[in-house]
Amino acid sequence: MSPEIYSEVGSLLKWLLTAAWLLPLLGFLVEIFGGYWADRKSKVPAYLAVGCIATGFLLSLIALGTWVDAADMNLWAFESAGHSAEHGEGAEHGDDHEHATVAEHDHADAHDEEHHEHASADEHHGNDPLKTAFSGTFYRLGKFGRLDVTLDWYIDGLTVAMFAMVTLIASCIHIFAIGYMSDELTEHYEDHFVHLPGGRHFHRPGRFYRFFAYLSLFCFSMLGLVLAGNIFQVFIFWELVGVCSYLLIGFYVERHSASTAANKAFIMNRVGDFGFLIGLMVIWTWFGVFQFANTDPAHADQAGLFQMVRTHDGTLVTEGEGMEKTVSLQHIEGEARPSSIPYWLLTVAGLGIFAGCIGKSAQFPLQTWLPDAMEGPTPVSALVHSATMVAAGVYLAARFYPMFTPEVLLVIAYVGCITLFIGATIALVVTDIKRVLAYSTISQLGYMMLALGVGGWIAGLFHLITHAFFKSLMFLCSGSVIHGCHHEQEMTKMGGLYKKMPITCWTMFVGVVAICGLAIPFVTLPAIGAVAFSGFHSKDAIIASALTFSSLNPVHSLLFYVPLITAGITAFYMFRMWFMTFFGKPKDHHVYDHAHESPTVMTAPLLILSFFAIFVAVGGEAGPLVTLYGAAEPAHVAMGATDAGNIGLNLPSHEQIHNFHAQAGMAALLVAFAGTLLAYLFYASGAVDPGTVKRQFESVHEFLVDKWRFDVLYDWMWQRPVHVVASWCTAFDKYVLDGLIHGSASSVVKIAQWDRKFDEAVVDRSVNVLGEVTMSVANWFRGLQTGQLRQYVMLIAVSVVSLFVLVFIFFPGQ
Amino acid sequence: MSVNEIIEHALKGEILPRSVQIFGPEIALCLTILALLFVRMFEIHRRLPTNLVALLGALIAFLGVFSQFMYVKGGSEIPAMMALFQAWGLTPEGVGEVGPYFTGLLVHDQFSVFFRLGLCLFLVLMIALTVLSGIPDSEDGQDFYTLLIGSSVGMMLACGANHLLTLFLAVEMMSVPSYAMVAFQKGRRQASEAALKYVIYGAGAAGVMLYGLSLVAGVLGTASMPELAAQVSTAFAGGSFVLTNPVAVTLALGILMVLAGLAFKLSLVPFHFWCPDAFEGAAAEVGGFLSVASKAGAFALLVRFCIALTGNPDPSLAGLNLSLGIGLGVAAAVTATFGNLAAYSQKNMKRLLAYSTIAHAGYMLMAVSALVIIRGANPSGVPGLTSAGLDAEARRCLEALLYYLAVYLFMNLGAFAIVALIRNQIFSEEIEDYRGLAGEAPVLCVCMLICLFSLVGLPPLGGFWAKLEIFASLFQAGRVHWFMWVVLGIAAVNTVFSLFYYMRVLKSMFLTERPVGARSALVPFRSAPGLYVVMVSVPVLLLGVLAGPLSQTANNVARILLR
Repeated sequence: MSPEIYSEVGSLLKWLLTAAWLLPLLGFLVEIFGGYWADRKSKVPAYLAVGCIATGFLLSLIALGTWVDAADMNLWAFESAGHSAEHGEGAEHGDDHEHATVAEHDHADAHDEEHHEHASADEHHGNDPLKTAFSGTFYRLGKFGRLDVTLDWYIDGLTVAMFAMVTLIASCIHIFAIGYMSDELTEHYEDHFVHLPGGRHFHRPGRFYRFFAYLSLFCFSMLGLVLAGNIFQVFIFWELVGVCSYLLIGFYVERHSASTAANKAFIMNRVGDFGFLIGLMVIWTWFGVFQFANTDPAHADQAGLFQMVRTHDGTLVTEGEGMEKTVSLQHIEGEARPSSIPYWLLTVAGLGIFAGCIGKSAQFPLQTWLPDAMEGPTPVSALVHSATMVAAGVYLAARFYPMFTPEVLLVIAYVGCITLFIGATIALVVTDIKRVLAYSTISQLGYMMLALGVGGWIAGLFHLITHAFFKSLMFLCSGSVIHGCHHEQEMTKMGGLYKKMPITCWTMFVGVVAICGLAIPFVTLPAIGAVAFSGFHSKDAIIASALTFSSLNPVHSLLFYVPLITAGITAFYMFRMWFMTFFGKPKDHHVYDHAHESPTVMTAPLLILSFFAIFVAVGGEAGPLVTLYGAAEPAHVAMGATDAGNIGLNLPSHEQIHNFHAQAGMAALLVAFAGTLLAYLFYASGAVDPGTVKRQFESVHEFLVDKWRFDVLYDWMWQRPVHVVASWCTAFDKYVLDGLIHGSASSVVKIAQWDRKFDEAVVDRSVNVLGEVTMSVANWFRGLQTGQLRQYVMLIAVSVVSLFVLVFIFFPGQ
Repeated sequence: MSVNEIIEHALKGEILPRSVQIFGPEIALCLTILALLFVRMFEIHRRLPTNLVALLGALIAFLGVFSQFMYVKGGSEIPAMMALFQAWGLTPEGVGEVGPYFTGLLVHDQFSVFFRLGLCLFLVLMIALTVLSGIPDSEDGQDFYTLLIGSSVGMMLACGANHLLTLFLAVEMMSVPSYAMVAFQKGRRQASEAALKYVIYGAGAAGVMLYGLSLVAGVLGTASMPELAAQVSTAFAGGSFVLTNPVAVTLALGILMVLAGLAFKLSLVPFHFWCPDAFEGAAAEVGGFLSVASKAGAFALLVRFCIALTGNPDPSLAGLNLSLGIGLGVAAAVTATFGNLAAYSQKNMKRLLAYSTIAHAGYMLMAVSALVIIRGANPSGVPGLTSAGLDAEARRCLEALLYYLAVYLFMNLGAFAIVALIRNQIFSEEIEDYRGLAGEAPVLCVCMLICLFSLVGLPPLGGFWAKLEIFASLFQAGRVHWFMWVVLGIAAVNTVFSLFYYMRVLKSMFLTERPVGARSALVPFRSAPGLYVVMVSVPVLLLGVLAGPLSQTANNVARILLR
């Protein structure tokens, strides 16, 4: 791309996305101030918020089109027969046709032998993400030493895809919230969950405007995070989304549970952010640069982080072995910076950044805040705590992928693996409809992390986007159910609702099928591939990556079996939720009788989102979505790695993953069907009584109901010890320090008593004497002023004469 | 030069336009007096209130001096001021040229313009205050304003005095109308009595002063002030300033007597006896006028006289300078101490302010004594100070005095104005009756607090910087002669003394309950009196926060005067 075209396209993209980014901020300012002074029954703030974010969506779409055009990419390449866009970069490089057939067949068909022949041939070329990326600087905050703190932008396929996804989902959720939050449109909102003494409920003015103001602020922060061009800027918006999450979880601030949950979310995120800060410090010290990459041909001399760590084709250049091992930095010319970084420090930086991702994405061991965050209103859960903010951790891990060493990747994989299993198992026993979805979110985020960890960069982000659609859809459905059942969230009180709310029921079904990854087996359409909803494609890609990884590294074969089994568990608990809510006999007639379908303003977003939940991943890994963001895949991923890092990890190449794709897909599909079947037997047909099973596995059930006892564990590990140490400190304070202070105080009092006597007898006396003398002098002066004119005139004469005498007395002598 | 010659020269020569140009504001004031009298004579004062005529005249004069000030300061090229310059017909050969005018009787320089500007500003504020407090009623307004403006013209003459005769004339011209003003409340016996004392005291002092002037002029053979210093050298003719030299003794006596006359105007101890009686008898507005304007005029005279005497480089006469400086220092220390101590036991607010005025005259006199000491110093005799350094320190002394006077204008006027406005409400000037006023007239009390704190010299108010500058110049003068350090010590102790009696007023205003049945004094913020006192108090605050521009200007004025 020539510099002229680059700057032209770059500035166009920049302005489009900046407008989309800043519009919600404008909306926030107008809403928060205007709303405060305006009528609380007005829906204008909501329309304003929707207008801002929907305009943002349109701008993002234009930006997406512009980018695709500039990158010279054919998103629909998979439809033209015989040509393939296999890895996203395939369209550009236009190589081997065989892969197209693979892509078409790999989910359903038997394994094709010819892959092996091309696997090695494929390793020569990698993707070049920097070729299609645009970067630049908005504003320079300041220069500290050699560190430039700037506001940058970085736009590539991933950025535009994320922008479109976030703005689309946010628009739907904003519209849904107009209906969901409508009972806040009042001057006297009665909060039934806040009990005051005397059996009364808490009354307050409605906060409709505030809700939309917070949502707008969140959108601004989230889009800023995605647009950010340097890691420090990411950190700023990272904290901003954290603040928004805090505000939104604690929206019903008078409820004790809500305020506690908000605090918990904020504090647990701080734990992760501590690691983030350590990572930032390492980067600052050793790189002195925060920018991801500098792709502007006009400033080719200023290298970004990615360009410094890896060579053009994505190789990590290392020297030495063990702790002595160092990574040589590229593109550094004659400056006083170190030209290499110790390998272990790079690992520490990667782990630090990933610690931030653990907190934000609710990964093990910081996962416990996310279920509690369901205290916020349901649209918040849909937007912040399933589709966007919690996925930001995954996004950052993917964005920062070039900086991760194989050791970090392994940690990511295991953390994801543990998380997905814990989340899924707890979801089995939870009865609160929103909490089922929350645990499911934790589990699915674990899948994404696992995929990134095992080298499936494409698979992880694929799942990020598909999950965003079907999970926000399901959250909105659950919101619709909750709204229809008058804020009843317990599934044990629902049942048979499909008659009352058909649209909700069947859109929920779309989401459930999508997340379970069900497909029609053995049926393949010529241009599209498997007949399945979006979740099938993405989950399939993850399982395939995991299978390839475990076959390359047999030691880590757990990383395949656990997600595979969990896929079955996922199908079980999702269908359990669906059956328990919508089918069977109504369990609570009060709830059932008052249940009703939600208004159009709430069901319309459900229909839109279910459309995307079905079709967003059309074409699977050869589809337009993967082609789009796949252009941002780091250069080194496609060819995999052998014996990488200090631990000798083998990372799968794209080719190797394809070899295992069909095999993995079959296994996953089988497990998913098994889970679905079990759920049907347990909760729909009544063939098995869940109660009996529960009694038989009493201890396991209790363990799961207690959320693996993490809260208890943390209580024992952190809170109790802190309390103990605090009580020691108190005792120390009380007996030692206070004793000292009291002792010294009493001695001071004694001294003071002596001093007082001294003061009264000596100092005060002397001051009093002085005062009395002053006063008597003053009185004498007053007496001088007799008011007698005779005296005055005489005094003039006397004064002049006496002054003259004085002058003579003091006249300078010879 | 005979009178005929002068008239000849004045009418035919080039000199008249320049003199008239410089004298424009004074002429405007004289015309205002005429207009006032005509207004009354033709009985149109019911339609055209005399106070408006007076205010207008004062404003015109103020604008005149202001344009002169800007012209002298910034030259003829200030675009915003062009219209004003043209209206007053200012030319580079006229106002632009510094030097004597009216055949050397008066002198036009930055120093006189600075003082005249302050006096005109004060006159405007004073007339505005009388409009608000209504002290001259519509029937005798013309008399009061005639006296007020006449006295002001006298003070403006004093600022430019360049001749011993002008000095005397100016003193009388500012004094005589003020005698009548003290007696202005005709019905009050106390006022008439105070005025009578003032007149007789003034007459005595004037007599002494005139005698002193004739002695000085007789010994030195000239009455033109710029020539005094040279004539002193000539008269001594190599002899030194000792007791056995008859010329020296006569001269000393003459100077002492002239200073006695000025001391009367400055109410320095022991020529202060008229002051508390006159202030108590007169209205508070007149008290404010006497304490600020006439003091400023007298200080201008004193500075000019002292500089004329000490402008002598002859080292044999160092004794004269030193004696003069130390004498002034002693007088200053005694005056400040006496004023502060006597203020302690006062129960009447105006009397208290009268003593406070005496004390402040003492502080300001310290700056003059430091100036005289430093100017008389022999550069080689002072370790660590060069000739240029001495000049800089002398400028600092004068700068301190000018700064003090500027701040004093606002803070003392504010205090007297508030006393007058409270008197209009509660008909009392006793401190006891001020109890709990803060609840009823918060704006008056807060402004009083600002003014009194500034009089004490607490930061961040203007009075702090003023006092600090005087103390700093005293300290520097102490390097020339140790006695100035003694004066500095006394001044510092005095500052502490003064805190208490000012505090007593504030305590009764803020910390005590309003007695039941006391007359209420409701002065809201949004009323003309409220805004007036705020307008007067804000400069006190501003001069405390932004001391730079004024002290820069003052330093500049001092530099040109001492050149």
